[in-house]
Amino acid sequence: MPRILVIEDDDVTAREIAAELASHGIDTDRVADGREGLRRAADPCYDAITLDLMLPGLDGLSVVTQLRGQGIATPVLMISALSDVDERVRGLRAGGDDYLTKPFAPDEMVARVDVLLRRHRQQAQQTLLCVADLELDLVRHVVRRGDTQLSLLPTEFKLLEFLMRHAGQVLTRTMIFETVWGFHFDPGTNLIDVHIGRLRKKIDAAGCAPLIHTVRGSGYSLAQTD
Amino acid sequence: MRRLTDNWRSTTARLILIYGSFFALWGIVVIGLIHWQAASYLTRVSNELIGRQADYFSMLDEPTRLRALDDYVSLETRQLNAWGLFDAHGKALAGTITVLPPNVLINGPVAIVPQGLARSDGHAHVSVRAAAVRLRDGRILLVSRDTSIVDRIGTIILQALLWGISLTVVPGLLGGWLLSRGPLRRVHAIREATLPIMRGDLAQRLPVSRRGDELDMLAGIVNAMLDEIERLLGEVKGVCDNIAHDLRTPLTRLRARIYRLQQQFGADSSENETLEACLVDTDALLDRFRALLRISELENQQRRAGFDQVDLAEILQEVHALYLPLAEDRGQRLELQQPSLPPIHADRHLLLEALSNLVGNAIKFTPPGGRVDIRARVAEDGPWVDVCDSGPGIPPDQRDAVTRRFYRAESCRSTPGSGLGLSIVSAIARLHGYTLQIADNAGDSGARLSLHCRDAAAV
Repeated sequence: MPRILVIEDDDVTAREIAAELASHGIDTDRVADGREGLRRAADPCYDAITLDLMLPGLDGLSVVTQLRGQGIATPVLMISALSDVDERVRGLRAGGDDYLTKPFAPDEMVARVDVLLRRHRQQAQQTLLCVADLELDLVRHVVRRGDTQLSLLPTEFKLLEFLMRHAGQVLTRTMIFETVWGFHFDPGTNLIDVHIGRLRKKIDAAGCAPLIHTVRGSGYSLAQTD
Repeated sequence: MRRLTDNWRSTTARLILIYGSFFALWGIVVIGLIHWQAASYLTRVSNELIGRQADYFSMLDEPTRLRALDDYVSLETRQLNAWGLFDAHGKALAGTITVLPPNVLINGPVAIVPQGLARSDGHAHVSVRAAAVRLRDGRILLVSRDTSIVDRIGTIILQALLWGISLTVVPGLLGGWLLSRGPLRRVHAIREATLPIMRGDLAQRLPVSRRGDELDMLAGIVNAMLDEIERLLGEVKGVCDNIAHDLRTPLTRLRARIYRLQQQFGADSSENETLEACLVDTDALLDRFRALLRISELENQQRRAGFDQVDLAEILQEVHALYLPLAEDRGQRLELQQPSLPPIHADRHLLLEALSNLVGNAIKFTPPGGRVDIRARVAEDGPWVDVCDSGPGIPPDQRDAVTRRFYRAESCRSTPGSGLGLSIVSAIARLHGYTLQIADNAGDSGARLSLHCRDAAAV
């Protein structure tokens, strides 16, 4: 069972994070202070860390900087009340793996933690991604469903790569927009839906078992249905 | 903008005109009075003189009288005096006056002969005064004196008046025109300073000089008023932002609870549909608050840390690629036309956000089957990006309003959205020193929204 260190000084937020992660089968330990957090984070038993940027003792940015300085590579999800792009960039540069703005939807937080946990487990660079009979060759830039080669636009290719790398995980629209396009603003709900719709039409052509699933209220997931 | 006639509208010029007219009028009155007094005095003296002389001559005996009359003429060097002796029937007997003027009564008062008297010595008299007396032998003696000196004095006084007025009024008017230029220049400076304020930049103030004159007092009053307006607006905005900020947390929790409920009931349950609708509504609320906070974040962001050389053409291609599927889904044509564009100094993320909002808006408000064009053009002071659509357009009287928070044109009330898209665009434009123009789509029914990426160095 994965184990996560929650460094968060606000009790309500900490409880929320713990409850939401617990409902997804993830254990949590909570620390309210930056210095204490840094000390506990060195423990290799943790698979990921959620880190509030505004902390008593030692601020989150310093925590992650020192953590990386000590050679500890545990993935860190930074949580901050500041939504500014500059803040995000600073956080990621300091060594954070992802950035989430408060207040956040719990499913969004869980989806991001989930992505971090899996990334941690499969560090090896894969060049061929496979889900069911769908194949994506990153080197040759070829996508195949069964015996049919599919022609995808560059954006569609990037989108499919992201979905396949995190096959079986729920990916929220914001995560998709941030990762595939690299944009950090609100594009309106149906923009991502339209792009997914296009990809779906090409991937899940008539007669094939659908691979791209809509997760109601959250986002999308690419998975083989049993 | 500035016209020559503007100078005459200033207070200084008006005062100078009023004073000038008053001064000229008063001058005319004074000079007229002097003229009238001088003329009447001279007339009285002349009349007395002529009357006495006529009486005196009439009382002398013949030889003495003739000698005295010769003296009367010759002693006056300027040939002002003349006389004539007539018989009882008016026939000229002696002297230089040959015709007895009909309006001079014999033994009557001194009379004016305006047309002058005919004189045998050739001296033409413009205006003379004359008196006639009957001598004891019945003959008539006419004595005249040229009084045109009175008129000449009048002329001199009139000339003095004209000179005086022209020497006062002409430099006065000229001076007034020149003097009024200073305050007018300041009025123009004030007008220039109000333009950004009217566009919504309440941090600007009117210029105040060190003189502390009326204009400065007025500017001071207006500035104090602006301080207060800015403070009040800031408070209102602060309250709005606080509400948005404070409501976001409970709303997020509300959304989480609905989401959990939905997960518990499962996709097949009868409650699912209602819960889904609740989620959609909550998301719409959260979107609106997020956009509102985003605007205030942009407005408070004064630094330009994220600014760098940015390839506008590449950004436009990204935005086009991002929105093309959406437009195609709605049966719209989305086309990008751009010449080779120079790099601009901007924040890449914000520019992407602004242009995405413009294109997203255009697509949203264009009916299915319409078209949206993204056109870039190069100008001296920085490139323009036009986003044209074939939607309903924006009426001229609503063009300022659409960039305000929450404003939605009357015709689009039913379209979903926060009404904050263009506010975000104009906040980003302001941060960059760019301008957002809203116009008609030339030759088409829709709107044209133009972002002028003005080069800050060129301004």
